[in-house]
Amino acid sequence: MVICALFLFIKITKAQTTFDSLKIKQPKHFFNTVIVIDSYNKPKKTITDTLDFLDKRLKSYAIKQYNLSFYTPIATINKPTADSTVTKNTHLLLTGTFMALLPVFSGISQHTLIKAGVGLRAIFNSGKKSVWFVDASPFMTQDVTYKSKTYYRLASTIVYSYNKSEKFNWRIGITKSFLWGNRFYAPFIGFRVGRLNKANLSIQFPRSISINLPINSNFKFSIYTRPQGGMFNFSNHDSLYYINNDATFHFTRYEINTGLRFDMRLSNNFNVYIATGISTKNNVTFYSERANSNYPRLPYNKYFYKSDMPSTLFFNFGLVLKFGKAKSYYNNKNILDAIDLNNTIDAGDGNTNNGGVQLPSKAKKITKKDANLNSVQDLIDYNDY
Amino acid sequence: MQRHLKIIILLFLLLQSLVYMAQTDRDKVEALRVAFIGKKLELTTNEADKFWPVYNEYNDKVKALRKTVRQSFKKGVDNLSEKELEDLYQLEIKAKQAEAELHKTYNDKIKAIIGTKKTLKLRIAEDEFKKEIIKTIQDKSD
Repeated sequence: MVICALFLFIKITKAQTTFDSLKIKQPKHFFNTVIVIDSYNKPKKTITDTLDFLDKRLKSYAIKQYNLSFYTPIATINKPTADSTVTKNTHLLLTGTFMALLPVFSGISQHTLIKAGVGLRAIFNSGKKSVWFVDASPFMTQDVTYKSKTYYRLASTIVYSYNKSEKFNWRIGITKSFLWGNRFYAPFIGFRVGRLNKANLSIQFPRSISINLPINSNFKFSIYTRPQGGMFNFSNHDSLYYINNDATFHFTRYEINTGLRFDMRLSNNFNVYIATGISTKNNVTFYSERANSNYPRLPYNKYFYKSDMPSTLFFNFGLVLKFGKAKSYYNNKNILDAIDLNNTIDAGDGNTNNGGVQLPSKAKKITKKDANLNSVQDLIDYNDY
Repeated sequence: MQRHLKIIILLFLLLQSLVYMAQTDRDKVEALRVAFIGKKLELTTNEADKFWPVYNEYNDKVKALRKTVRQSFKKGVDNLSEKELEDLYQLEIKAKQAEAELHKTYNDKIKAIIGTKKTLKLRIAEDEFKKEIIKTIQDKSD
């Protein structure tokens, strides 16, 4: 066994030498660089409860949200296993987000709240059945319309993912997220039944529940439920916080969106998606920093305004751009899982989803359209004819 | 509300037409190839876990090699200096040599994972897929 391994190693080294001497340019990473441009909005809804002083002032509520996020691989470390098959690897990715949120309250002036951050994530493929995912997404939030204080926050997640088979995966971990409109520490519990590029049910608490149905290689349909929200800073320009004279307070929101989504692969590098459905809960809360300052790392629990607004429709549209060449990972369930983890826990805690832009498309048979010289030139030599 | 709905329907129709106009996807052929091979090989879970990373790595190297040679020949040979011609000649020879070495090395690795019979089945499956593609191209040109 040892002699065999040694013999194989010498052979690999020899072949590698000839190959290396040619200085062939090869992809270094399993991940592409991906940019997601996401637009999300909810139409105006009148606040019906008019007994509260602030309800009367705010009058109605709508949301416009624009998010640009990206991830790019910065290092991939492959570690050969004992039998020299390279299956263990660590992927380090740089992530970033820039979000502009416009909560529209017709009774007060328009505010633009921004959130921006750059983070790092590491994904470790054990080479067996498990994948570890660690993400740290620091970000800043500010109300850029009026004078306000900038706040720095950190969203983070650690997940252990186990691939029982290509058709079944479970995940467990812990996440610190602002998606649910506060600083929450929550367990991450997930499972998927069905192959990633075929029909599957995926439950990833606290981020999403979805049924994904690929229709063909270019078109995917999903039914999903996912929270949207965050914690932002709001300038007290309109004197909404009247108890103290603070310049800034915290505006938090979350809503639970249930709807349909269509993902379209327009080309190898360009995807789009459209989603619509019902937005329920629509929670809006205003917290003062001063009242919550005694417990700086815990969820805020002293608010001066809280409302669960009526349900509305929501509309979501996004463009996904994929750049660069990646190493092949066909049928490599751990890499596919690593890619899915990276999609599920999006860059910057915004809970957008790129629709699995990196997952190989579902394909049934070769059509005449597929078989052109360009698509098969690596597979066929002229002497194959 | 109705305006939003109209915009969504219009966008949907526009994008759907773009899907059909989109360029043929090389990845799709590759996905079909691995699906075809996977089906033919009937690998056990344990074999598949080890086989696919090795096979993908092998294919990536061969493809990169062929691409390099293809691109080097793109300019033609008529306007090249003697040195450039010699370099190109050496590249072609070395690439063939490297491909043969990669073939041997990776097939040995694959054999260690899935056994001799399935390694030979792999070769047959690769050929069958090529034949299917050639047939499709021929049908297309008829």
